[in-house]
Amino acid sequence: MAQSPTSGAVRALQLELKKIQEEPVEGFRVHLSNDDNLFEWEVAIFGPPGTLYEAGYFKAHMKFPSDYPYSPPSVKFLTKMWHPNVYENGDVCISILHPPVDDPHSGELPCERWNPTQNVRTVLLSIISLLNEPNTFSPANVDASVMYRKWRESKGRDKEYENIIRKQVQATKQEAEKDGVVVPTTLEDYCVSTNPKPSDSSMDAADFYDDDYGDDIDDDDDDDNVYEEDDDDSGNEMS
Amino acid sequence: MAEEGTLHYDPDKNYDEETLAQQRIIEKQIAGTQDFVTERLDFSVLEQEYAEDPVYIKKVRSLKSKYLCLRKTRGDGNCFYRAFGFAYFEKLLEDQEEFNRFRDVASKSKDVLVSLGFPQFTIEDFHDTFMEVVDKVGSQCPLEELHKIFNDQGYSDYLVVYLRLLVSGHLQKEADFFSNFVEGDRTIKEFCNQEVEPMGKESDHIHIIALTAVTGVSVRVEYMDRGGETTNAHDFPDGSTPKIALLYRPGHYDILYT
Repeated sequence: MAQSPTSGAVRALQLELKKIQEEPVEGFRVHLSNDDNLFEWEVAIFGPPGTLYEAGYFKAHMKFPSDYPYSPPSVKFLTKMWHPNVYENGDVCISILHPPVDDPHSGELPCERWNPTQNVRTVLLSIISLLNEPNTFSPANVDASVMYRKWRESKGRDKEYENIIRKQVQATKQEAEKDGVVVPTTLEDYCVSTNPKPSDSSMDAADFYDDDYGDDIDDDDDDDNVYEEDDDDSGNEMS
Repeated sequence: MAEEGTLHYDPDKNYDEETLAQQRIIEKQIAGTQDFVTERLDFSVLEQEYAEDPVYIKKVRSLKSKYLCLRKTRGDGNCFYRAFGFAYFEKLLEDQEEFNRFRDVASKSKDVLVSLGFPQFTIEDFHDTFMEVVDKVGSQCPLEELHKIFNDQGYSDYLVVYLRLLVSGHLQKEADFFSNFVEGDRTIKEFCNQEVEPMGKESDHIHIIALTAVTGVSVRVEYMDRGGETTNAHDFPDGSTPKIALLYRPGHYDILYT
């Protein structure tokens, strides 16, 4: 009778992988962990220029469920991350990765949730955006969240958070060298992609540019839904 | 999500995943026993179902006086979309003029969704698949082929997703109006995120109103519940001439044929 749901997932993942490899987009690179398995991807995220994460090379593992794209993938950082929305074990906690079941946090904040039109690209762009704009509303790493707030509220005078991030970014350089990757550090290089389609990528670039750390408290750009809407620091609702 | 008093909340446990795993098991059990859309069935299947239930038996009889037969759909939370899609596409096989109107609407619908901020790349994928099936209908493929498509999970779910997106797009476009009908403090966008876009979320009046409006397809729904002697017909939109008829029993939609 009906074919298994997995065949739909295979089709969707093949299509996404092909598209991303043919038209690499700013900020990340992907490849399969193992060529025979479309359901596990290795991801490298580049830290956005003009933020604490500039020049960072962060590796993560993406795992897709058999009923993708009806259910979301999960993302786990392999690189050590000190971030309010990343658990100690690397699991990323962001509303877009929330399965579409009723959850106790719903209704607390407007936020982007998983739906079958979300994809690898929208997820990774949300995570890049999250790096520099943590959500401290319900953090995955409470200590990191408290430290981040101190840093932000002191307008950068309390350096504890900043120092940890810079140290972690510094530590990723070896890994980048080992992989033979040159991490883009200027906006021009960061955004270069082969022939981006204007309708598709115009929104991506805009978001982190005006969000240099230190003055990111009020982000009033009203870009498209790919990003969580920001209201103070609580734009990315946490799970 | 733990129920009071019955469960100890374990912060290390991922309850969402557990819920999902359980849902998948239930879905599998349903999937093993039921087509997404059945063949045309005689009303005797409903008479058997309600053999012990005098109230419902009466209603089945009243249905029988108005309709010839029915098709059942799988009870997976997507039944409204699947029933609507199949019943309407089946109708289009015999109505070239209506097909031309709908093809135009369907083909333009993608741009509206992209303009609302849905990711273009994935929208295109769903839209292309939707149009592929629409064009099969336009080429007047055999009814068996359409039936096969709706029972092929890959295609069938893509069609459901696209119909859900059309509903979400319409609700968001007409947010000023529809926000009056959303319960609680949710915005229309949140409502769409939580109640329209995810697979398996059941449909209410607001979904039906939006889908009939955005597609321009009028629907009659026969409500079969405990009250009264007969089923109650309701047309969406009110006063229109319905193209298709659906049977509603609490929580579920099937297709009716005259």
